[in-house]
Amino acid sequence: MTDALAPGSMQTETEPPASGEVEIDPKPSPTRKNRRVSLLPQPKQIEQHRVDALTRGRKALLCVDNVSVAFDGFKAITDLTLILDEGELRCIIGPNGAGKTTLQDIITGKTKPDSGSVFLVGDNTDLTELSEYEIAERGICRKFQRPTVFQGHSVFENLELALPGKKGVFASLFSRLSKSQHERIDEVLETIALKDQKHAPAGLLSHGQKQWLEIGMLLAQDPRVLLVDEPVAGMTHQEAERTAELLTSLAGKRTVVVVEHDMEFVRSIARTVTVLHEGKILAEGTMDAVQSNEKVIEVYLGGGH
Amino acid sequence: MNVKAELLRLLPRNGWIGLGAATFLALLIPILNSVTAVDSALHVPDYLVALFGKFSCFAIVAVAVDLLWGYTGVLSLGHGVFFAIGGYCMGMYLMLSIGEAGVYRSKLPDFMVFLDWKELPWFWKPFDNFGFAMLAVLVVPGLLAYVFGFLAFRSRIRGVYFSIITQAFTYALMLLFFRNETGLGGNNGLTNFKSLYGYSLADSGTKLGLYTVSALGLLVVFLLCRFIVVSKAGRVLCAIRDEESRSRFAGYNPTSYKLFVYTLSAVICGFAGALYVPQVGIINPSEFQPASSIEMAIWVAVGGRASLLGGVLGAFIVNGAKSWFTVALPEAWLYVLGVLFIAVTLFFPGGVSSLLLRKKAAT
Repeated sequence: MTDALAPGSMQTETEPPASGEVEIDPKPSPTRKNRRVSLLPQPKQIEQHRVDALTRGRKALLCVDNVSVAFDGFKAITDLTLILDEGELRCIIGPNGAGKTTLQDIITGKTKPDSGSVFLVGDNTDLTELSEYEIAERGICRKFQRPTVFQGHSVFENLELALPGKKGVFASLFSRLSKSQHERIDEVLETIALKDQKHAPAGLLSHGQKQWLEIGMLLAQDPRVLLVDEPVAGMTHQEAERTAELLTSLAGKRTVVVVEHDMEFVRSIARTVTVLHEGKILAEGTMDAVQSNEKVIEVYLGGGH
Repeated sequence: MNVKAELLRLLPRNGWIGLGAATFLALLIPILNSVTAVDSALHVPDYLVALFGKFSCFAIVAVAVDLLWGYTGVLSLGHGVFFAIGGYCMGMYLMLSIGEAGVYRSKLPDFMVFLDWKELPWFWKPFDNFGFAMLAVLVVPGLLAYVFGFLAFRSRIRGVYFSIITQAFTYALMLLFFRNETGLGGNNGLTNFKSLYGYSLADSGTKLGLYTVSALGLLVVFLLCRFIVVSKAGRVLCAIRDEESRSRFAGYNPTSYKLFVYTLSAVICGFAGALYVPQVGIINPSEFQPASSIEMAIWVAVGGRASLLGGVLGAFIVNGAKSWFTVALPEAWLYVLGVLFIAVTLFFPGGVSSLLLRKKAAT
């Protein structure tokens, strides 16, 4: 009885809506099956109707589409979809192990997801198939949690290396800084308040200054999307304030994503907050809306009680 | 005006003066050897010329290893491979140019006659041609390094793991070259060379010529590596050494930079090996010994990493000490080398060149 019923009911239930969906709605996001085709040298392009469906009615720039990744069975990210608008400042918060760092790793190409795709609207190339430096070339930059600068190089050289341009071996062998590039470096030095340390070795900077230098390096790269991981960790109150100013001034021109634990800092800069929990988006909205969200209170803010 | 600026980018004014002085002294040696009387105080004896010629080859290797280790942070403990292969390519040419002047009066190299081979193996044949052999000296080590490096760097093998693999690499090749079937003379290697491009190797003129080419080769290699180090590519190399992941997120592909430097340093080592073999008159599989590759790293450590001058100084200091000790106190040499290495690592992590350059900066 059940054997005979099960296949029959499956057919009648699933088929009509599926065929109906294909006409009206786009196909589901590419999964493993489609990825096998992309052994071709060209990285895969996201189909336009999928892009339109995700970004309908908004000025989206970066889409994380239905991404999942598991490490040895531990599901770090599950079916996560995140859409970032052009020029927006987004804060991502969440308890430890929520998948914040993994999400950044996926966007910047350090980790390959099991399924799903990441793409820049307009470019539409599936970034999950590219390596880190190719993603960086497309304008997605990342600041690590620990300040990561080239210690042996001067502040100026750090910024020089970050400037956009050809980055192959032979191009670098013969490259010279142009006048406009010098000006660009001075501009960034002004922004990050390290003008007086221009020729100082980066290794000798204070912790906060290193954080700024790293942000400066991202700026010099002239990115479209900046991913900033815990920018005020270990900063003095004053330094944190200055960093908040810096990040808010960047938003509008660029899309800035800040991952932060410091709730006071998040409140001072955030317009939209995304709360991650166990690899999924728990809530998204303004800081006030998120803070009054019961689910959020339960798993995150209330976790301490 | 522009040329002056470019030259000062390459080396500071003092650097050029020092380099000029060193080159002058290096070129004075063959003159003092041939012009002055044997009993004159200014006379440079033949054995010293030969020694300096050898040391120049080692210094070329040290510069190449330094570019890879000091600047890029990749410690290869298998660069003896490229030195030896460059040497074997030269050795094959020298072997074939002996002609019928060998012990067995055969057209075939002596060891082949001894093994009762009737014909020259196919890969020996083109080495009859001087141009081909000289090209092979550079291309064979370069290709080998390119393939090995590609596989290693693409898999992101780094640090001590890379060093261990390169040790295994040189050991495996040593075993291969020890075999008679490999066709390169087995454990005796290639020796009894008579002439190079028509010039008898026994002539003092040829010896002075080889010394001069080695010294000038060192100069050219030094300037070439200096050009790389002061370019933006050099700064990328140090960036990869210090923060590889940051360099990647800054848009650089560390794999291609490492592969470039690894291949280039292999080519340079091949060049040094080819100059070395006619000067010492033999090449055999002992050059593939893991210990000789480690010694190359010690030259750089003693002289100072991330300073090309340090590489040169280290090669001269360590090999100078080796020459003296292996004559005066042969049993003590390995202990001395070990103590030297530990002492430098503990007390002058920047090597000898750091002492020298700091002194210069102070005055």
